[in-house]
Amino acid sequence: MNDSEQTAQISEEGEVGIVEYQDFVSTEPFHFESGGSIPELRLRYETYGHLNEAKDNAILICHALTGDHHCAGVYSMDERKPGWWNFMIGPGKPINTSEYFVICSNALGGCQGSSGPGSINPETGKPYNLDFPKLTVRDMVRAQSQLIDSLGIDRLHAVVGGSMGGMQTFQWAIDYPDRVGRYIALACAARHNAQTIAFNDTGRQAIITDPGWQNGNYTAENGPDQGLAVARMMAHITYLSDVGLEHKFGRKRRASAKEHFDIEFEVESYLRYQGQSFVTRFDANSYLYLTKALDRFDLHAPESLDDTLSGVTAPGLVVGFTSDWLYPPQGNRELVESLLRLGKDASYAELAMDYGHDSFLVRAPKLYDLIRRFLHR
Amino acid sequence: MHPKNPKKRQADFQVIARWVNKGERVLDLGCGRGVLLEYLKQTKGVYGVGVDIDFDKILSCVKRGVPVYQGDVNEVLASFQDNAFDRVIFSRTVEQFDAPDATLREGLRVGKRVTVGFVNHGFWKNRLNKAVWGRRTVNEVYPNPWHASMPANPFSVAEFEDYCQIKEISIGKRVYLAGDWRSEGTLFPNLLAGYAIYDLASSN
Repeated sequence: MNDSEQTAQISEEGEVGIVEYQDFVSTEPFHFESGGSIPELRLRYETYGHLNEAKDNAILICHALTGDHHCAGVYSMDERKPGWWNFMIGPGKPINTSEYFVICSNALGGCQGSSGPGSINPETGKPYNLDFPKLTVRDMVRAQSQLIDSLGIDRLHAVVGGSMGGMQTFQWAIDYPDRVGRYIALACAARHNAQTIAFNDTGRQAIITDPGWQNGNYTAENGPDQGLAVARMMAHITYLSDVGLEHKFGRKRRASAKEHFDIEFEVESYLRYQGQSFVTRFDANSYLYLTKALDRFDLHAPESLDDTLSGVTAPGLVVGFTSDWLYPPQGNRELVESLLRLGKDASYAELAMDYGHDSFLVRAPKLYDLIRRFLHR
Repeated sequence: MHPKNPKKRQADFQVIARWVNKGERVLDLGCGRGVLLEYLKQTKGVYGVGVDIDFDKILSCVKRGVPVYQGDVNEVLASFQDNAFDRVIFSRTVEQFDAPDATLREGLRVGKRVTVGFVNHGFWKNRLNKAVWGRRTVNEVYPNPWHASMPANPFSVAEFEDYCQIKEISIGKRVYLAGDWRSEGTLFPNLLAGYAIYDLASSN
């Protein structure tokens, strides 16, 4: 035995290049955990790499609250911004598309092409809005499992996700132990703490009290844009850290402020831009449904965390980030502590990064190394 | 940093493997790169969990397929119920704890048995280095000078056995390795043992 470490083998890195999304449609009614159903299920998804003959090299990526199915590549060569996890996914990258077949779907309840409050109810020809059934993380995962079925995949090599994606990842390991080869959950939690629920509800109130919301029956032209923008501004702060914000903006000012409450500080400009651009890509009702699903997610219920995790069989890796105050390291650690109490194969790693909850979305060679190794072990 | 003598680094492996039963649940506190756990998994089929504070060590454990937890030993111990593991291993880590007594007792609570391996600072060469040269021993396993090392709280075979007696910790088995950390011996261990390994249990 030699204790010296070989550096991980890194093949030439490349890009997945131009990608297209696809739609999975099931015309069977989809029944929700909390009651209610929709007559058909639609999930928008993308895939990268090739499914091998044995169909055992598939990795499912689960996105965060406001993420989507577009996690790698670009839609055209003119597009400046690639998918949200392009650092991580591609030929020779940590989630190596030369080796693995990577799947990412827009979550059920989302607004980027999957069935959600904003999609059209085929029975009425109108958007569901608040007639969309109450949503849980378990519903999202069950919808994904139907997509995986449709691709002819029995067992996934891995399920990987951060934040809400991490919760889905755990739900996969709990609900489908025979279909998950291993799982990686980043910046995750077994349940929201009071502070996180408080932030989410403040965001929801900003939307609901916007006159444009109209009890959920708004139109594309007259939605609760101000409320949604404010919800996003506040949530965005919780995704970063004080150190990160200070480093990026400090007290830098803009010269142009004339009126008393004009944008004066750079950080104000940044957040207002984040709020405004969010309105153009996200649906307010989806935001309400998804945040509520996350607030209700609770692996400590109905019995205990140990009880909920007792059926997990796949090896798991959980990664916490020191500056994450939304899903703090302690909440990540308790998941692994429970798994280890149960005698499961589980590991916990912690990265010291300044980017807060969003650290898992940032270029981080140490994280790449960890994920690469775990997928290969 | 490449050890000149990996054998010395793994001094206690064979002894610990001898004591571990097949399929035991083992917790290795301060597991480093997970080499011992990998060895115990291969030779004894144990369910082994490592704990270490350093991210690079965690990376190595993940690569070896050893379940590992990055964090503080005391915090991890607190999360386990009594007798959660058949054996808790402290291999060259007791010297680095802030409160060795409290941590060892937690180890005895969580593990049915506890294995402790440590460098005997009563070993004649270590004494000589201090007494004659006024310097501490630097070797393959501890190659760094004081200013590049973790704080350590060195102790001797005699001191450790006194401790076990006072705290009513029963010593099941013990092995003393000579100055080369290989050959076993029993004569005047506080003077002649370079390395000592103990198998402990709570007396009550």
